[in-house]
Amino acid sequence: MANAQAARPMTAEEKKVIFASSLGTVFEWYDFYLYGSLAAIIGKQFFSGLDPSAQYIFALLAFAAGFLVRPFGAIFFGRLGDMIGRKYTFLVTILIMGLSTFIVGCLPNYASIGIAAPVILIALRLLQGLALGGEYGGAATYVAEHAPMGKRGAYTSWIQTTATLGLMISLIVILVCRQALGADFDVWGWRIPFLVSLILLGISVWIRLSLNESPAFQKMKAEGKTSKSPLSESFGQWKNLKIVILALLGLTAGQAVVWYSGQFYALFFLTTIAKVDNVTANLLIAASLIIGTPFFIFFGVLSDKIGRKVIIMAGCLIAALSYFTVFPMMLTAANPGLVKAQQATAVTVTADPTTCSFQGSPIAREIDFTSSCDQAKRVLAQNFIPYKNVIGATGSTAIVKIGDKEIPSVGGTLNDAKNGFSKESAAAIADFKKAVLAEAKDKGLTAKADDAAMNKGMVLAILVFLVILVTMVYGPIAAMLVEMFPTRIRYTSMSLPYHIGNGWFGGLLPPIAFAMVATTGDIFYGLWYPVIVAAGTFVIGMLFVKETKDVDIYAND
Amino acid sequence: MIKLILGFIVIAGAALYVLSKGGDIDMGGEKHGVETSSSHSAPAAATPASAASATKH
Repeated sequence: MANAQAARPMTAEEKKVIFASSLGTVFEWYDFYLYGSLAAIIGKQFFSGLDPSAQYIFALLAFAAGFLVRPFGAIFFGRLGDMIGRKYTFLVTILIMGLSTFIVGCLPNYASIGIAAPVILIALRLLQGLALGGEYGGAATYVAEHAPMGKRGAYTSWIQTTATLGLMISLIVILVCRQALGADFDVWGWRIPFLVSLILLGISVWIRLSLNESPAFQKMKAEGKTSKSPLSESFGQWKNLKIVILALLGLTAGQAVVWYSGQFYALFFLTTIAKVDNVTANLLIAASLIIGTPFFIFFGVLSDKIGRKVIIMAGCLIAALSYFTVFPMMLTAANPGLVKAQQATAVTVTADPTTCSFQGSPIAREIDFTSSCDQAKRVLAQNFIPYKNVIGATGSTAIVKIGDKEIPSVGGTLNDAKNGFSKESAAAIADFKKAVLAEAKDKGLTAKADDAAMNKGMVLAILVFLVILVTMVYGPIAAMLVEMFPTRIRYTSMSLPYHIGNGWFGGLLPPIAFAMVATTGDIFYGLWYPVIVAAGTFVIGMLFVKETKDVDIYAND
Repeated sequence: MIKLILGFIVIAGAALYVLSKGGDIDMGGEKHGVETSSSHSAPAAATPASAASATKH
């Protein structure tokens, strides 16, 4: 029976289910890229009029919108989805998400309505974060529960391809508007991409309204077996909580770091460490995503045949084993002149280690770094100049040594209002940074990648390899998560590990990797984070996570 | 399936085209801060305004 189902072609209704669900995630990704590409303009429009203390509070709230609210949204909407149904829940999530985005496009800026502007903006982002928490789990559950046995991997893998589509649409909308409007884009044109989301919202809602509830949920509801308390069932009973923890540590944590490394850290690495110009780096990343995207489907289909676990674990293992080889290769291919300069000139920071602060806090302010060690490390770290640490005498002033030249660092003294460095201190820090950068430039340590010397074919090949690893871990993940939990608590149980894995393990990759680079001075040291997490997921997954491709998702209902 | 493939190729081609014409844009994903400068790929943790931490879901 299962084989017969798997052999038949996709029905029109199933195509509509996948399309409607994927459209929501396209929307989600479109938003995700808008809030990156337009972050600087939004900042100017809504936050630049605020004093530093207020900016700091808003920064904390914006941080919370990304890292705290989404898992909460996963629980909130997951619970609703398991109690009242998938269809209505992810109709609500897309409505909240879409309207929040649209309203941002209409929202008056700080110059017009003062403090109300950033307050409303942050409130909208918190609301949007909440809805986002429920969107993916709903889409994955809904598609998987419509898919015939033996095709869940293939069907749900379509959802993962929407990441590339969301990026492409955001690029087209933003860049066409920017080209067409010129200077007006920064004044009012940036609103258009947000307003355009109304079209996506309208189509998504219209299609989703015409869909039926998932057969698995309908059956469960008809039999009166829906959960009365999905939260306590999911997280209060050890037999389910154990699977939630395994889904997080044995699957989504590794999947998230492989994904972030392959797309976002790779881009960050190219533009900052390899010093490739933004346009070239963007083109290379976009090309690698376009080439790699069909592999989401490939590995989704393959997972129906050989299993989900083997593919996800292989992706994590290959990533853990290969990152320390492929990222240095990418640096050599992208900027061979820089590599030669780094090999020819030693850079050291001699400092009393007790005066060196942790550089990696994502909410730290510049004025939090007052010691001479902090300033020495910051100038090198922010320019990604590799250095070695040398332990200095207790209480000594830090010294940066580039080749044979020694440059004493300076500490920072705060002004009376404690909201910035004093005038003299700021000038001394600026002079120190200028001296360090001049010497580094002289030694070729800040050399931009030369287009003629760059081996673009090799860089692209490495990027495609990284994206294929992403598709290995991401293609089968939705099907696997869905199959791990019974229908009555599926939405709740699968959403939380997914969002904690991707939001925390993945989302914190950039600041953690940067902190590791800044602290050690080793430009590859940040790779230890994804390598350790991916290796940990491989070990936990291999030992404790069971293969699920042949699981009958109706069996425990 | 052919329609999907063609649609994907058209969108991908258009995206690459606009990128090649004026592609100095931050593709690093959502920022969790209150960016007030336009620095591309600013290192994380430099200031609260440049917490270059993309996160998803």
